[in-house]
Amino acid sequence: MAERTFGFNGISPSLDKVGRKRYAMVVDLRRCTGCNACTSACKTGYDVPLGEWRLWVMEAEVGRFPDTKRYVLPRLCNQCDQPSCIRNCPTKATYRHPDGFILQRYNRCIGCRTCMVACPYNARHLLSDKRRDPRNPRDVADKCDFCIIRVTRGLAPLCVASCTGGAMIFGDRNDPKSEVARSIRDNKTFTLRPQMGNEPQVFYIGLDSRIADPEFAYHNRSEQVHNRENTFKTGSELGGDFGGDIIDTEMDFWGLMRHIGRNFKTFFSAAPNKFFRGLY
Amino acid sequence: MDGQIIANAYHHEYWGFPIALYFWLVGGSAGSFVISSLGWVFGVKKYKPVAFFASNFAIVLLLLVPILLIIDLGKPYRFFHLLMVTSFSHWSAPMVWGSWFILTYPVGMVIYSYFVYKGNQTYARIFGILAVVLAIGTHWYTGVVIQLNPSRDPNHDSAAPLLFLTGAYVSGIGLLIVSMWIRNKFARREIVPESLLIDMSKLMLYGIVFDLFLLFNDFLLATYGTGEEHTMLYDVLLGVFRWAYLYMEVIWGLLLPLLILIIPKIRNSMYWVVLASFMTATGVYGMRIWWVMASTYYQGHF
Repeated sequence: MAERTFGFNGISPSLDKVGRKRYAMVVDLRRCTGCNACTSACKTGYDVPLGEWRLWVMEAEVGRFPDTKRYVLPRLCNQCDQPSCIRNCPTKATYRHPDGFILQRYNRCIGCRTCMVACPYNARHLLSDKRRDPRNPRDVADKCDFCIIRVTRGLAPLCVASCTGGAMIFGDRNDPKSEVARSIRDNKTFTLRPQMGNEPQVFYIGLDSRIADPEFAYHNRSEQVHNRENTFKTGSELGGDFGGDIIDTEMDFWGLMRHIGRNFKTFFSAAPNKFFRGLY
Repeated sequence: MDGQIIANAYHHEYWGFPIALYFWLVGGSAGSFVISSLGWVFGVKKYKPVAFFASNFAIVLLLLVPILLIIDLGKPYRFFHLLMVTSFSHWSAPMVWGSWFILTYPVGMVIYSYFVYKGNQTYARIFGILAVVLAIGTHWYTGVVIQLNPSRDPNHDSAAPLLFLTGAYVSGIGLLIVSMWIRNKFARREIVPESLLIDMSKLMLYGIVFDLFLLFNDFLLATYGTGEEHTMLYDVLLGVFRWAYLYMEVIWGLLLPLLILIIPKIRNSMYWVVLASFMTATGVYGMRIWWVMASTYYQGHF
């Protein structure tokens, strides 16, 4: 594909560029046990607020008893080569590192959430106003950054380091001898939603087409999980900022009215805190 | 297919009802300004009496917009990041274009209003043209912000800005008719003749027909579309968004007013016209709701 750059200071994809690195990840789903060690390492490592994830594991049960199978799918930011979040960010808060990381500048981000709408993978979240450590950034968009702070110091990302089954492989695709380049070369790999044109750089081996399908995820969403999420997000102090922004699964007329009321209530009740807690 | 997702990260609706309200207000503002400009810019003399009121009405509607937008930001004090041209603002992002539209559009309207008040035809025309372009631009960009997201299914559609503009046109006229009718009740002088308001409802009727035509095309597209578009179609017709789309927009906002405005016996009665205007003006909010929120809801499950 022809090289594209974004904005006035876009950095072109570094894949196959001599002297540049292109970090990528391969998730070998044949080896993934769905233990969620990556999720908890990421959550604790970056103090990700409750109800938000930089990385999470999707699980699906497929088939009819007794022919059932459980599929797992670790999901994280795909560090795309043609990222729609960068294209749509109005303040250049999100940008591409020359080595392929898609990063977030918290001090530029205005929290408009355009990047989240643009991301086909739902890999972005808005950091809650109520952080465990109040010095951490609040009310700005955040995402998985491939643990750049570890990678530039020669360590593997937290999820890779904590993976119990050795399913996550991380490395430089531009180095033909690296494990990640070999895995991509020697296996049939898949990416999520390739039709979106984002050229994601997280590759999956043994990806089941059902769990990778947004339609399947929507039609077969578990009512129980959905309700639990709704209850948590509307009831919890930690997740309550945008509590009104979740739609009731059953949406009759009164549900719509209730939802509008709740949304505006949280909208206006969060406002004084946003304005008076300090300039930044 | 048998199966169930048993663990997943369900995400928030990123943009909620306040943003839908913002789209609705901008639309109302753009619509009423188009009516305001008819007399002074496009030379339709009979609309001159409504021009001053309609322009001021558009300004008031637009003044509410920054309140909603800035409160909705995670970091409200950083709104100026959008306007720092050389350093921060990112010109590939439609939100930056819109920030400039939202800033310049009310200024153009205020200048236009001033010359209308003074009765200066030349300058009113010049600034009227400028402000009409800005009015259309302001609302066009709201459609574009929603449109340029390839993964959000009903939105990623070249008809989006056109649908937004048509909605703006009908809701703007509807709001204007209702507010002028209320104003007529209280005003002692410069009462706008009812025949003019009824004339305006004819303009609204054309908009409603065009809006229905666009919606029908979108419906056709989704019917013959991909699986994701089918899902979307189900959601807005029978599923979660049926109240916003089917009942509020299509039936309450477009079909019933269309009926009122084409039945010869009642289409020239002021009360029926005001009722139809009220229904259209409020019904378009339903369109803003499903257009902003439906795709993020559906995609939020992945």
